[in-house]
Amino acid sequence: MTFESPFRLKQFFESVILLWRKTITGNFANVIHGLNKNHLTDVVIQRSKRMILDTLGVGLLGTSTEVCQKVKQYSKIYSSDISSTIWGHLDFRLPPLYAAFVNGVAVHSMDFDDTWHPATHPSGAVLPAVMALSEAFPQKKKISGLDLLLAFNVGIEVQGRLLRFSSEARNIPKRFHPPTVVGTMGSAAACAKLLALNQMKCKNALAIAASYAGSPLANAATQTKPLHIGNAAKHGLEAACLASQGLQGNNQILDMESGIGAFYTDYNPQTLPTLQSYPWLLDQQDVAIKRFPAHLGTHWVADAASSVRRKLVENSDILLILDKIEKVIVKVPEVKYVNRPNPNSEHEARHSFQFVACSALLDGSMSIQSFTSENIHRPALQKLLCKTQLEHPSDNKPSFESLYCEVTIVLRDGNAISDRCNTFYGHWRKPLTKQDVEKKFQSNASEVLPAEAIEGILETVYNLEKVEDCSVLNMFLSGQSARVLPEKLHLKHSNS
Amino acid sequence: IWKCAPEETVTSSFASFIHAVRPEHLSKIVRHRSKRMILDSIGVGLVGSTTHVFDIALKYCLLYSSVAVSNVYGKPGVKLSPTLAAFTNGVATHSMDFDDTWHPATHPSGAVLPALLAASQMLPPNSKPNGLDFLLAFNVGLEVQGRLMHFSTEAYNIPKRFHPPSVVGTMGSAAATAKLLSLSMTQCTHALGIAASLAGAPMANAATQAKPLHIGNATRLGFEAALLAARGMEANPFILDDISGCSGFSAFYSIYQPRPLPTPSERHEFLLEKQDIAFKRFPAHLGMHWVVDAALSVRNLFINYAGSFSPSLIRTIVLKIPVSKYINRPFPNSEHEARHSFQFNACTALLDGEVGLSSFTESSIHRQELRELLHKVVVEHPEDNVANFDKMYGEVAVLLKSGDILTGKCDTFYGHWRKPLSRESLLKKFRSNASHVLPEEKVETIITMVDNLENLSDSSHLACSL
Repeated sequence: MTFESPFRLKQFFESVILLWRKTITGNFANVIHGLNKNHLTDVVIQRSKRMILDTLGVGLLGTSTEVCQKVKQYSKIYSSDISSTIWGHLDFRLPPLYAAFVNGVAVHSMDFDDTWHPATHPSGAVLPAVMALSEAFPQKKKISGLDLLLAFNVGIEVQGRLLRFSSEARNIPKRFHPPTVVGTMGSAAACAKLLALNQMKCKNALAIAASYAGSPLANAATQTKPLHIGNAAKHGLEAACLASQGLQGNNQILDMESGIGAFYTDYNPQTLPTLQSYPWLLDQQDVAIKRFPAHLGTHWVADAASSVRRKLVENSDILLILDKIEKVIVKVPEVKYVNRPNPNSEHEARHSFQFVACSALLDGSMSIQSFTSENIHRPALQKLLCKTQLEHPSDNKPSFESLYCEVTIVLRDGNAISDRCNTFYGHWRKPLTKQDVEKKFQSNASEVLPAEAIEGILETVYNLEKVEDCSVLNMFLSGQSARVLPEKLHLKHSNS
Repeated sequence: IWKCAPEETVTSSFASFIHAVRPEHLSKIVRHRSKRMILDSIGVGLVGSTTHVFDIALKYCLLYSSVAVSNVYGKPGVKLSPTLAAFTNGVATHSMDFDDTWHPATHPSGAVLPALLAASQMLPPNSKPNGLDFLLAFNVGLEVQGRLMHFSTEAYNIPKRFHPPSVVGTMGSAAATAKLLSLSMTQCTHALGIAASLAGAPMANAATQAKPLHIGNATRLGFEAALLAARGMEANPFILDDISGCSGFSAFYSIYQPRPLPTPSERHEFLLEKQDIAFKRFPAHLGMHWVVDAALSVRNLFINYAGSFSPSLIRTIVLKIPVSKYINRPFPNSEHEARHSFQFNACTALLDGEVGLSSFTESSIHRQELRELLHKVVVEHPEDNVANFDKMYGEVAVLLKSGDILTGKCDTFYGHWRKPLSRESLLKKFRSNASHVLPEEKVETIITMVDNLENLSDSSHLACSL
């Protein structure tokens, strides 16, 4: 071969390099395609089942929210033959795409779902999609619990890996809401896995999904925020379906700055580890499961405020000494979208350091009830809010790995009482006990499901690896009770 | 930071505009230009319904066709649910990169028209919008896109990060459908807010089969945003404003300077009045049109010089083009890549004397004489050739083995806003496109309907005729 010019030589080498070099996108597709059940470790299985249980509970509770009512109404215009379960509903079903959407919205409707580090809400973007998809296969094809668990973990893993491509992702976000960037990709990966797409189609699922990714942060603390998770689930599913039908996108979508890199100012993609004893991120880094429905940053505030309150009043009612309080100082990192001195709606209240501090001071602890309209607007709380201010110490970094909260109450007589929370109960450094995860689930699910269905879900999720046909899970989620379907549980007895 | 009187925000000025603008505000020029756009967009969508990517999109959407009231381009027996019809028709419109382009750069019509057509069929019989309502809504969709692009100097140049139709197109669709559905001012505000969370696709999928989805999704998701807003969904009412520490629509730009829209009083100056659109003469990225016109003039010189076009006499072909990575492809392998390749389009023009639909078939792309010619191409990026559809030029120089050089330069191709297509040329393009899938009578019916759009009593007839 001869070359007319140095330029020609350069062109030749560039095309050769492109052929030989393993693209990161191709590598991701390889891993999504190649991971199998044997790769799942015990820790990963245990942690992801906790996540699944928590996500289901949070989603069931969320079906009763106003935002969920609206999306249910909206999605009904798309009813068709192929249909999937809407959590908490026996009365209607929706096409898989809209089931994923509605259930995803439910999961994030109260900001009660899990949070990871680097920051995103991993489960809500993936679980509704794979569950809706699992019902879309022809009758004779059974999806086992292990299939579901594997697909779920592929979706989580892909999110975690993508988050590590940018140093921006380590801090609480400012521009794009992470679930809408990595969540969409995770959903696409999980669905591609469940659909058993070949390597090429896995790549295309990722490429197509990228074109749906990315919502600005400004809709956080509004009613639209839950749609971020709903859309992540729905669009990832759609991307996988389109890829399955042969649609192609840019097969270097993860490699290029004008691909997924478009969502970050610094972007350094890496290849995934080899499949040989695959090191799952969930193995090294657990999620945080929330104890009350509000932005994760407020959980430090709640714990700090509650312990200050205990120091202050021991057994008496704080209302008695409310007038004696001069100031409430809350030391938190600088996170503008959670800095709301005077929230007006439940969505704003869930994103307000100040609100949670005052609410926890007044009541001793936070709960679902803390965010009702009456409680948001009660005079005692409003009064306390007026006395509350935030401070941003320079050593308090806006990262869920390292932030802390210190609450100080300054009394009129000059005395000051403080306490600090470094790690709230529920954080990955101090995970909820099995009992408390179950208690949260029971409390949430009982708002919409009968006891037998709740028992059925617990039983199924605890034994998910052994379940032959995961459609039982969807049946329970729609409200059908366990009594009707003992034979459907079909637990494998071979290796218990 | 969150307390601001509603009248003062950029977001509320947009909502005000969408809500308050009336047909009387449409000037003659705006009506004329926008009807041309509607016609071209329909034609391009019709021919696009013959593509593979369209097939995939349609097959996918048919899974969900229960409440199927809206027509699909080129498929008279098929109906889909409104947003999916919008999606499918949007994909058709952009499937061959044959649709209109504006300045600052975006493909405005494909992001708006399909949603409006689908929506018009969704409304109940006694509240169908008339042709003038339809034309107004269409122009609201264009205007919002144009205004948003003026918020960032980045938008003036050929994009690098986010594909503009996926950013402003989604917002335009939300605005247009909000207008057609007569949403309240508050609902218009929230439609914009919800749409922002559905906007933004990275450039990397340009020149791939997934690119048409950008327009499909823009028109569909903007439509969805309006439908959600109509049902009371609420978003951030300051989505277009500068919110420090927490990005709204500004997330898609590094420089962002929003300005309020004037509330329409007796007059409103639409951007389309001052800045016309470019219509493409062949289905490829707009940048290609400059090099093709330059290449065609060189080919004429060549024929005068040598009697016929003989590639064997050529040593090198030099293309002087602006810097833009995604349209600089020396050896494209697919139709999508070929439509985004300066080199491919220049060589095709030199070889064939024209570039058309058939230039992008598999056999055309891979033919021997074209590949040989591609090997002779080098590109140069003169400093004065900026990557901007208002300022760029295309220059082709053919260096012959004899030592002679033949050059051609094109500043303004035929079809550009500075040299708009004549009515004859536009109709010729439309007829050629539409006749791929519709019989002659239907083709003429559409032309007549769009010509007289202001007088149409029920605009859903337009959608029905597709």
